[in-house]
Amino acid sequence: MQITGQLALTVLMGIFLVGVAAWLARVENWRSYTPLASGGGGAHGTGHAEKPSGVIRWLTTVDHKDIGILYGFFGIISFVVGGLMVLGMRIELFDPGATLISESFYNSLLTNHGITMLFLFGTPIIAAFSNYFVPLLIDADDMAFPRINAIAFWLLPPGALLIWAGFLPLGDIVPAQTAWTLYTPLAAGVGNGNQANAGVDLLILGLHLTGVSATMGAINFIATIITERAEEVTWANLDIFSWTILTQSGLILFAFPLLGSALVMLLLDRNLGTTFFAVEGGGPMLWQHLFWFFGHPEVYILVLPPMGLVSYILPRFSGRRLFGFKFVVYSTLAIGVLSFGVWAHHMFTTGMDPRLRASFMAVSLAIAIPSAVKTFNWITTMWNGKLELTTPMLFCIGFVANFIVGGVTGVFNASIPVDLILHDTYYVVGHFHYVIMGAIAFALFAGMYYWFPIYTGRMYQRRLGKWHFWLTMIGTNLTFFSMLILGYAGMPRRYATYLPQFSTLHQLTSVGALILAAGTIIWAYNFATSWIEGPKVQDGDPWNLEETGMHTAEWEWFDRKIETAVTDGGEEESVVADGGGERDDA
Amino acid sequence: MSTEDAHDDHGHHLPAVEDWPRGFGEASWWPFITALGAGGIYLGAALFIVASGQDSTISPALAPAALVGSVAVFLVGLYGWLYHAFVSAFWSREASETSGKALRWGMIAFLGSEVATFGGGFAYYFFIRTGAWPPQSLPHLLGSLVVVNTLLLIASSVTLHWAHVALRNGNRRNFLIGLVATLVLGVIFIGGQVLEYYEFIVHSQFTVTSGIFGSAFYGLTGLHGLHVSLGAVLLGIVFVRSLAGQYSAERHVSVTTVSMYWHFVDAVWIFLVVVLYAGAQLGA
Ligand code: HEM
Ligand SMILES: [Cu+2]
Repeated sequence: MQITGQLALTVLMGIFLVGVAAWLARVENWRSYTPLASGGGGAHGTGHAEKPSGVIRWLTTVDHKDIGILYGFFGIISFVVGGLMVLGMRIELFDPGATLISESFYNSLLTNHGITMLFLFGTPIIAAFSNYFVPLLIDADDMAFPRINAIAFWLLPPGALLIWAGFLPLGDIVPAQTAWTLYTPLAAGVGNGNQANAGVDLLILGLHLTGVSATMGAINFIATIITERAEEVTWANLDIFSWTILTQSGLILFAFPLLGSALVMLLLDRNLGTTFFAVEGGGPMLWQHLFWFFGHPEVYILVLPPMGLVSYILPRFSGRRLFGFKFVVYSTLAIGVLSFGVWAHHMFTTGMDPRLRASFMAVSLAIAIPSAVKTFNWITTMWNGKLELTTPMLFCIGFVANFIVGGVTGVFNASIPVDLILHDTYYVVGHFHYVIMGAIAFALFAGMYYWFPIYTGRMYQRRLGKWHFWLTMIGTNLTFFSMLILGYAGMPRRYATYLPQFSTLHQLTSVGALILAAGTIIWAYNFATSWIEGPKVQDGDPWNLEETGMHTAEWEWFDRKIETAVTDGGEEESVVADGGGERDDA
Repeated sequence: MSTEDAHDDHGHHLPAVEDWPRGFGEASWWPFITALGAGGIYLGAALFIVASGQDSTISPALAPAALVGSVAVFLVGLYGWLYHAFVSAFWSREASETSGKALRWGMIAFLGSEVATFGGGFAYYFFIRTGAWPPQSLPHLLGSLVVVNTLLLIASSVTLHWAHVALRNGNRRNFLIGLVATLVLGVIFIGGQVLEYYEFIVHSQFTVTSGIFGSAFYGLTGLHGLHVSLGAVLLGIVFVRSLAGQYSAERHVSVTTVSMYWHFVDAVWIFLVVVLYAGAQLGA
């Protein structure tokens, strides 16, 4: 039975890889373009190219925009891989028994789904946006350290390879089954299970490598935003997206290296017989403290930049400036600081000191306040605004809605007596997926649609964009609301099987997941075909932002680029932006 | 967000004009090669672990080969990188205020991340200190070796600072003398650490697996030792570059950043001696 599941996944992966290869073959034919719109560079106009052509351009590039695109592709590939993993799990969960795949294979999928989505999709896809846009928004030549930028990206593919290596047919290696939290003693390989297997070591090494990559990126962003801003870009008028990236980088700076140390200690425990997390040494509690000291900031590492994206994009389609800009910045900084003081709310049921527990509860409730400040700012921005329900705007609104559910369920979790009942149930899974899928992924989709014209020079298909949004919105709420109810009903998380009384809700969850998959396929089709043959964007203002006085630096840059671009002879119909004609059906 | 009207045209600087492949402004092979090497090192470590499994079918020679090869690739990448980014056009490059500031901020941020890296190890030590102490018979920690080593390291910070001041005053000779002195002190320190390990492991039978203090001791001193070694390599690079005539009173960014790193590692050592060497005797 397990073989069937593995076979199915292998085939899907195979198809997927063929797609990637096909894309790469296309890349080979891409012409190298001249990215200089401002025309100040000495090399300009002398027939001297900035970049080699073909694949070599992508392997050697130190241009922040190209690296952003590489991050984007890497993130999307990971999203597909992680998505296939979870589809395997959800299909297995259609019925109570372990029918399609074995329990241990289910555990492996569970572990790798979480790690793939957080470390190989979440962090990199955010870096895709920040690399592409932060230098443009602050009017810098490039990142402060363009080569470090490139190496930070190129460490990711080997990291991913190591993380996924357990699934490859490599002798006696089995993929890790520790869940993404890698709790000891299981993850230390103690006991009679098979987690002493090298698959866990490979995963740990791969995670460490991706952590190094994230830390290098964070250092680069801190140096860039502090020192490379153009003179006109002061702290007072720094845009909101760059603010969130700066805060996020500060969090990465302290969270990821600590995880790195903890991972190395775990590796030593497994292979050299040290006692860092052994019962006589630090024990499981030390692992949990270290892990969550990283883990909680990590969730804000993932959510802050998407909040920045929404704060940036939502006002463009509300016809008004962001309400209370300053307070959005302050709340970002407040979250950044507070997020290091709440980690033990993941450990309420461990039997830790009750006085400590109470103080962690207090700080956890407090962190909901700056989060709520932002929510109210988004709502008041839209209030009485001239809303244009373009696809990016829909995703922004979806973000706000889902984030409210995610945040409120978080507050319930943060309250000790409630959490003692809900901990380790599907309620927790529902909570964080409302934030991670319902909010973070939504904001990222908003960003992808909003800036699609900038990085492809073309416009996506509007109707498909709407389909994608509505399927994703319905799928998300069906899937994760069912999970919340499952949690209330007492369904524990991380099991391949369940009692028959949970069947209906589990089936609803699985249907929701399939709807999400359908939406994602539409999105992939839309982006792929539009990139290749979508209508070309003719001017630097496809969203008609000038009308409302909301034109920003990156679009000006884009405008200059279009003007100076060498026309390649293609004559394609000009584009009606997603917004323009649609105010009526709003 | 009023970055709106702030963008008039200004000169755009290409990041990689002097590089390989030649003739482009935004292309460099070095990051890719370096990442290949770094990834290979992790892969080599993975192969080691896989090959040591009970019924592994992987040839035991594979892991060392992969490791050696990867380290070589990694070093070649780093060399090319440093050469093209910093060394080759050292004098012709404009000594821009921003690039120096960026490098200094980069180092500050990196040191911030180092606090967290060390934090993990110290957290373990503090964690076990909440239990009964001593958990085992401790080796003789506070000998003359530690005292001498500590003094050496402090002295090396002083000499490095002195060298830096000399450079800024345009006194090249003293700069070189100070640099050599720092390097020598650093290397002696590393030697002292090796000697201490030797004493503990061979004569006191105190190894990394000797109980819960062994993990703390070797984990923290090992991590610190790696950092000192890296510092010595960095100092070596600065030294070679200065022998080749680079640096002046105006151009000394890498001397600044390497000094920051060295002082930081020095400070960590002092903390470590107080907490781990002296602190372990406390309550014992
Ligand atoms: C409004 C503020 C938030 C509060 C008060 C909050 C509170 C909590 C609490 C108390 C738990 C532990 C539940 C348990 O295991 O019993 C939890 C779990 C979790 N939260 Fe939140 N949360 C908030 C926002 C977020 C955000 C913004 C994210 C994601 C970006 C997030 C992601 C997670 C994750 C991933 C877990 C589960 C980790 C695991 O056990 O695997 N939370 N949250
Ligand atoms: Cu948390």
